Amino acid sequence: MADVVLKDMVKAYGRHLAVRGIDLEIPDKSLVVFVGPSGCGKSTTLRMIAGLESISHGELRIGGKLANDMPSRDRGVAMVFQTYALYPHMTVRDNLSFSLKLARMPKPEIAERVAKAVTVLELEPYLDRKPSELSGGQRQRVAMGRAIVREPEVFLFDEPLSNLDAKLRNQMRVEIKRLQQKLGVTTIYVTHDQVEAMTLADKIVVMKDGEIAQAGTTLDVFENPRSKFVGGFIGSPQMSFFDGKLTQADGDWFFESEALRLPVNAKRYGDALKPGRAVWGGLRSEDIVPAGHGLQPTNHVAIEGVVTLAEMLGNENLLFGTFGSSQFVSRMQQPRLVQQDEQMSFHINVDRLHLFDKETELNLDLESQQKDQSEELDQ
Amino acid sequence: MTVALDTLDFDAIARRERRLQQSKWWTLAVAFLISLIWLIPFYYLAISVFKTQQEYAAKAPLALPDGLWPIVGNAVEAWTQAKMGFGMLNSAFYGLVGAGLAVFFAAMAAYGLTRLDFRRKNLWFMVIFAGTVFPFQMYLIPLFFFYQDWGILNTHFGMILFYTAICIPFPTLVLKNFMNGLSREMDEAARMDGASEFTVFLRIILPNAWGPMTATFLLQFTWIWNDLLFSTVLGNRPETRSIMNALQVFQGSYASAGPNIVLTAALIASLPSIILFFVLRRHFMEGMRVTSL
Ligand SMILES: Nc1ncnc2c1ncn2[C@@H]1O[C@H](COP(=O)(O)OP(=O)(O)OP(=O)(O)O)[C@@H](O)[C@H]1O
Ligand SMILES: [Mg+2]
Repeated sequence: MADVVLKDMVKAYGRHLAVRGIDLEIPDKSLVVFVGPSGCGKSTTLRMIAGLESISHGELRIGGKLANDMPSRDRGVAMVFQTYALYPHMTVRDNLSFSLKLARMPKPEIAERVAKAVTVLELEPYLDRKPSELSGGQRQRVAMGRAIVREPEVFLFDEPLSNLDAKLRNQMRVEIKRLQQKLGVTTIYVTHDQVEAMTLADKIVVMKDGEIAQAGTTLDVFENPRSKFVGGFIGSPQMSFFDGKLTQADGDWFFESEALRLPVNAKRYGDALKPGRAVWGGLRSEDIVPAGHGLQPTNHVAIEGVVTLAEMLGNENLLFGTFGSSQFVSRMQQPRLVQQDEQMSFHINVDRLHLFDKETELNLDLESQQKDQSEELDQ
Repeated sequence: MTVALDTLDFDAIARRERRLQQSKWWTLAVAFLISLIWLIPFYYLAISVFKTQQEYAAKAPLALPDGLWPIVGNAVEAWTQAKMGFGMLNSAFYGLVGAGLAVFFAAMAAYGLTRLDFRRKNLWFMVIFAGTVFPFQMYLIPLFFFYQDWGILNTHFGMILFYTAICIPFPTLVLKNFMNGLSREMDEAARMDGASEFTVFLRIILPNAWGPMTATFLLQFTWIWNDLLFSTVLGNRPETRSIMNALQVFQGSYASAGPNIVLTAALIASLPSIILFFVLRRHFMEGMRVTSL
């Protein structure tokens, strides 16, 4: 088993930088998910780890060994591709045993390993079929089987579920998680689906423009987004952002925008708070609660808003509306029928207001945390 | 609102739809006439091979033969006069080996052009393909002198060399297009499974390219089999003579065999291509489909 360490990894295609310096430690046996918008360099990073793409700069260590120039087959990694990439001319059995045959493994051992993988993935009935005679989900399992039989030290998945329908996707997601825990193999999983990312990951790595925007546990990334981008990307529906500034009155701090005036938790943001500072205020849909529906936040401010669109999901409604001219999304638990252009009162959970600098779009609490840390160091 | 299905006149509906599909009688007539004109040479061939020399001379060219037996005599006559057995063997050798090698090399070239990373790929492809841009006859005289200088005129090696070379460009074009369409992730998966470049080619790409390879093999085989010009110029000795070249004994001022013999010989000479086509037709049609030639 192996841990994977990326140090300053860069990928350049000519003058274009697809990956601009990635530093990351992936502990042994953990499941790390790379998530980010299309084109942010997730696949490229994964393919560099796989050995399918050369590393332009930086270091890759797998199990402590420098792997930059190792051929892919010596790295002990196995990959599951988005298109499954099964060998169409081979039966499922041959697909599974191809790598072992190439490694000149004795026949009985091959049979044993294939049998084991087949049992885990419930592929017995399909062993003698060609990939074209399988359903999407079955193909997906064969692709995983092909990775499992090699007993690799690291699994790589590149959007393995994106070709499946929603129901099967949920099912396979659980199956992958279970399998990974059972086999205890270090796994790197790429997806652009943030729900998939949040449910699977031990550690979630949010990428943007070839860089890591934030890495941490799901809860950490969700609760403390480092930047406006992470706040907006993680969580569904999207966080609502309000353009405003900080003000001070009688020693208390406020976030003020055109339609909102919310008290700010001075302890969280410390001396990042400066009067007149231009900021983005960010609120998740569950922190804008329609009055009288679901759990009301204890520390709240009531605001009148207009609902422009209601999405009825059955167990809850998503309300798209406006405070003055700024738009927001609210989650309505215990839903009722909502009319278009209905005026409603919303309770805003002020404890969970996120503030991002207008220019850098970084969370203001970073500044105060940095301050804390440097104070600690001084002592 | 529901339709009362049991009140509908289904026979009338069927008749109306059939009428829409039916073509007009005169389109059929024109089609029939055209096929007739197209079939006349085959008819001529089919009846002539069953006629003896006297019968052929006495009757009108398109008249039916008296019996079927004369074909045996005609065949024996054609076979011995033209030494067809020898020619057939030579041509089979040229066709199978030449087209086989050409398609294999073309597959390797196509693999390289689609899978390997090197500069000026398009230029290299154009260099290969340039071979078919000019009329083949252009190569004839230079080749002849070159072969003479190198002492490979009238050798099996020389013939195979030429046929292989001339048959590479077209399959390269077809296979390059085909392999372009094969999933790249498939060979990346194979590479991660531990396959070397050559293993990827041999065990992953080739088995998937079987259809277009068979199709181009058949086309090239037929071309080599039917080639008269180059085999006459480059291999005009009895040992290296091709089947088409062998048939030439029936031409010229000293030829004595009648048209019935010549046609029988031509029929026999075209059988192998036809048989090969029928044997491989499944692959051939598959290949046609994927390459949409
Ligand atoms: N072979 C290449 N040559 C040049 N640029 C490339 C190449 N491959 C990828 N890129 C660029 O690198 C960037 C990152 O691509 P990558 O495939 O890693 O994105 P991704 O995060 O996986 O996106 P997606 O979610 O759409 O799969 C993109 O801007 C892409 O255009
Ligand atoms: Mg990708």
